[in-house]
Amino acid sequence: MRRKGKQRLKLTLVNLILILVCFVTFIPILYAFSVSINEQNSLLGSDFSFIPRKVTIANYRRVFTEEPVVLWFKNSMVLAVSTVVIALGTGIPAAYIFSRRRFPGRKAILQLLILLYAFPSLLSMTALYKLLSPMGLINTRMGLIIVYTGTMAVFALWNMKGYFDTIPVELEEAAKIDGAGPLRIVLRIILPLAKPTIAVTAMMVLIYVWNEYIFSINFMTGESTYTLAAGLYSLQANETSGSWPVFSAASLLVSLPILIIFFALQKNMTSGLTSGGVKG
Amino acid sequence: MKKTNTRKKYGTLISYLWSAPSLILICLIVIFPILYTGYISLTNMNVYHWFTYDVIGLRNYQEALLVFDSGFLSALLLTIVWTVANMILQLVIAYLLANLLNTKGLRLRNCYRTLLIVPWAMPGYVSILLWKTGMFNSQFGLLNQWMEKLGFSPVRWLANDTSAFLCCTIVNLWLALPFMITIIDGALQSVDQSYYESALLDGAGWLQRTRYITIPAIRPIIAPSVVITIFTTFKQFDVIYLLTQQAGAKTGAHIHTILTYAYENAFITNNYGYSSAVSMIIFVILILFSYVIHMKPKEES
Amino acid sequence: MKKILSLLLSLTLSIGLLCGCGAHGKTLTEEEKNTIVIWHDKEDAVSSALLTELERLVPDIVVQLEYKSNLTEALKMVGNDPNAAPDMYFFAHDKIGVYAEMGILAPITDLIDRETLTASYVGMTLDAATYKGELYQLPIYFETLLFMYNRLYMADDQVPQTTEELYAYMEQKTRGGHYGFVEQHSTAYYSAGWIHGFGGYILNENGDVGLHLPETIAAMEYHKKFVEWMPGESEYATVNTLFQEGKAHATIGGPWLVSSARAAGMDLGIAPMPVIDETSLPISPYMGVQGVQVLRYAAENKTETVTRILEALMDPEVGIALAKVSGCAPAVEACYENADVTADDVVMAMRETAEHTIPMPNRPEMDIMWTVVADLLVNINMSGQDVTASCEDAQKRAEDLIRKMQ
Repeated sequence: MRRKGKQRLKLTLVNLILILVCFVTFIPILYAFSVSINEQNSLLGSDFSFIPRKVTIANYRRVFTEEPVVLWFKNSMVLAVSTVVIALGTGIPAAYIFSRRRFPGRKAILQLLILLYAFPSLLSMTALYKLLSPMGLINTRMGLIIVYTGTMAVFALWNMKGYFDTIPVELEEAAKIDGAGPLRIVLRIILPLAKPTIAVTAMMVLIYVWNEYIFSINFMTGESTYTLAAGLYSLQANETSGSWPVFSAASLLVSLPILIIFFALQKNMTSGLTSGGVKG
Repeated sequence: MKKTNTRKKYGTLISYLWSAPSLILICLIVIFPILYTGYISLTNMNVYHWFTYDVIGLRNYQEALLVFDSGFLSALLLTIVWTVANMILQLVIAYLLANLLNTKGLRLRNCYRTLLIVPWAMPGYVSILLWKTGMFNSQFGLLNQWMEKLGFSPVRWLANDTSAFLCCTIVNLWLALPFMITIIDGALQSVDQSYYESALLDGAGWLQRTRYITIPAIRPIIAPSVVITIFTTFKQFDVIYLLTQQAGAKTGAHIHTILTYAYENAFITNNYGYSSAVSMIIFVILILFSYVIHMKPKEES
Repeated sequence: MKKILSLLLSLTLSIGLLCGCGAHGKTLTEEEKNTIVIWHDKEDAVSSALLTELERLVPDIVVQLEYKSNLTEALKMVGNDPNAAPDMYFFAHDKIGVYAEMGILAPITDLIDRETLTASYVGMTLDAATYKGELYQLPIYFETLLFMYNRLYMADDQVPQTTEELYAYMEQKTRGGHYGFVEQHSTAYYSAGWIHGFGGYILNENGDVGLHLPETIAAMEYHKKFVEWMPGESEYATVNTLFQEGKAHATIGGPWLVSSARAAGMDLGIAPMPVIDETSLPISPYMGVQGVQVLRYAAENKTETVTRILEALMDPEVGIALAKVSGCAPAVEACYENADVTADDVVMAMRETAEHTIPMPNRPEMDIMWTVVADLLVNINMSGQDVTASCEDAQKRAEDLIRKMQ
């Protein structure tokens, strides 16, 4: 009985701390929300309160009526989904091989890859342009998808490899004896067990693509090709004409889909090694 | 003997075939720009020779080494302080929060976790702009409005070096913690619960369990992400530049990391050969730095 | 390991080489020749007015006006690439030097003869767009900073005639969250007016840096005492909001401020720039000429279409339509015969102020000066460093960076 009471106290405490942390995290977001539903047309109100005196949804309406957000949303979706699929499709086999097999060059490549992160990428824009332009990939989605997958490939490989390493090899041995090929092993044994890391990797890639705007605005021209992040950037880039409330409204709307996807992926991230029958 | 040799070769071939798509993408998008930058650094490509540049050897490097003056050294020092401070804070806070999230019987776990990663769901520049104008602005920012209500005089948060550094750190934490929490939380999920059970039986406290079970167990999983984060923190440009040095909106603080320093002293010249040389040297410094602190990702096999 | 590395390297290199020889020398179809892509960075009102005018004047040409948020950087990257570059772009004249040196711009006089231009344009707009003797821009309108005040606080007869009067006003009225006068004090564009008013300069037409000149130093010293009565932030959002919300009585700002101030219901007054007591010269800001530049590839391969667009843009109606939406002064002389234009006090004030303005330098070195001068101003105005020493340091740094451009 006492133990139970202690446990309950602990849970209450944990809840309190987490609520507090969440609130602190949310201050800037609440601020943006409050600006976006405020009738006055300014981010910089001199007397700000979280609950504005006059509430309006006009800014949200403006986002939908004055900007082609639906189109931008579609662009972002297409890019994000294709990039995630390609990144996982290329990353999983590579991560599996690097985790399971020992072959000449393996170690060197692994270490080299992580060192590549040391390169300041401020200059890679021009180089990538020189690469994509002759292939006719400037102003195409394909070009952007290649850039995005390539950028995330190192992370995908390393991150998934790290997790694969923790999956006991014995599980595969059994399947091997049953005569399963490597493809079968990956599909039947590794993938179900590696759900958490695949979910995390997919989400990382997704968020990267969703929030990326620099490549997008440089390699694509025309409002109809913008992704949400690029569209949002262009809304604010011209500071003399930008509207803060519309911008705040738009930035909150942009983050919504990510949150929904994240919530959906939660289930996958909790299952996996801890719940599966791996222990044996 | 011969047979095993061919078999080995075959195995290697298969391994490379499986990882080829990923490696080719990396070659194109990550390695090619580095090689290209290396090549440009040997040429005189600049505004006056945009299409007709020639290879001029190491002359750009001679010039570039001059950038590495006292200003650069203090920027390098600040970058190291910045990286260390941010990484420690990130790891500790993320570890604690991830542990709280994994408290047994926590019903709202998923809800909290979603809320905690919200900052991640916004494009970085949007968040930085929000912090800069919404929070730190000395005229209208939320912080100063609160200060005024509490009876203090307004503070120019971004105007002096120390407070600007703190503000940048807070914003960087706000931006980076969601990733760290997710990674550590995911890693904690993979720790075999039976270890804890036996440790509890042995009467080990929380600290001991953390030290002897949790950290060794999650280290290999989070290591690559941590190393990558160290590099990104080291190379952080947006947070510091947008908060304190953006053209037309400088705040008066002089906190330069090596990248903002290189930007203001090389990249603005539009001399691609020269700025490529500076980039290559920074690249080498970073690699050396990572060796000095033995950051090589370890592999327990 | 070495083997693997070299394998990776050679693979990458060969891919790179493969890309090196790609599409070149393609011939344009009639349809492509009849399509003109124009990049711009203007607000919707301006670009849609321009598009309407072009559709009316040259209905058979397909004009694509595309907003490009980081136009200047993107242009450096795409250069003259027919796959990605626009045919023209609509931007201020100050980047002409960079692109002309890069070799991606075609002189306007290749397409339109000079006499026609000099006969119909406000002279200084053509001067501003001339780099190394060649004209690279067809001007459309020009803009400069104006002295603006809120009549709610500052009556017309209170408007300071001299900078000392302005200072007295600031001293008297700056209290309790109100400011007598605000400007973006620590940015090069805004401080240039003060430097010019003292006879100094940032960069002259020969490419000399003038930060160490006694005139420039005197201007910095003098300007500093005004900054003490202004807010710490110097960026657009803060200064603009203070003025729009009625917390600042007067400001120096661009025409872009006017429409939002009027929309917010402010009784906005526009006055000539105050005269600096010491030199008897008014604050003389930079002037920017917004116009259209033609890329070399388009000029060579779409000569006829490009020329027709340029001719259409010379129509006074275009200038009038754009002046109405932007509040800027048209570059074509004939526009000033229009009653709407002469009745617009912002446009006319701009035209008058322009007498004392100095066109922004269009040399490539200016890219460096924006940053160096901003740093200098921050050092003086915000960090309180010694004026003379800071100016000399900045001069050295600027000269050093300019040398590194080569």
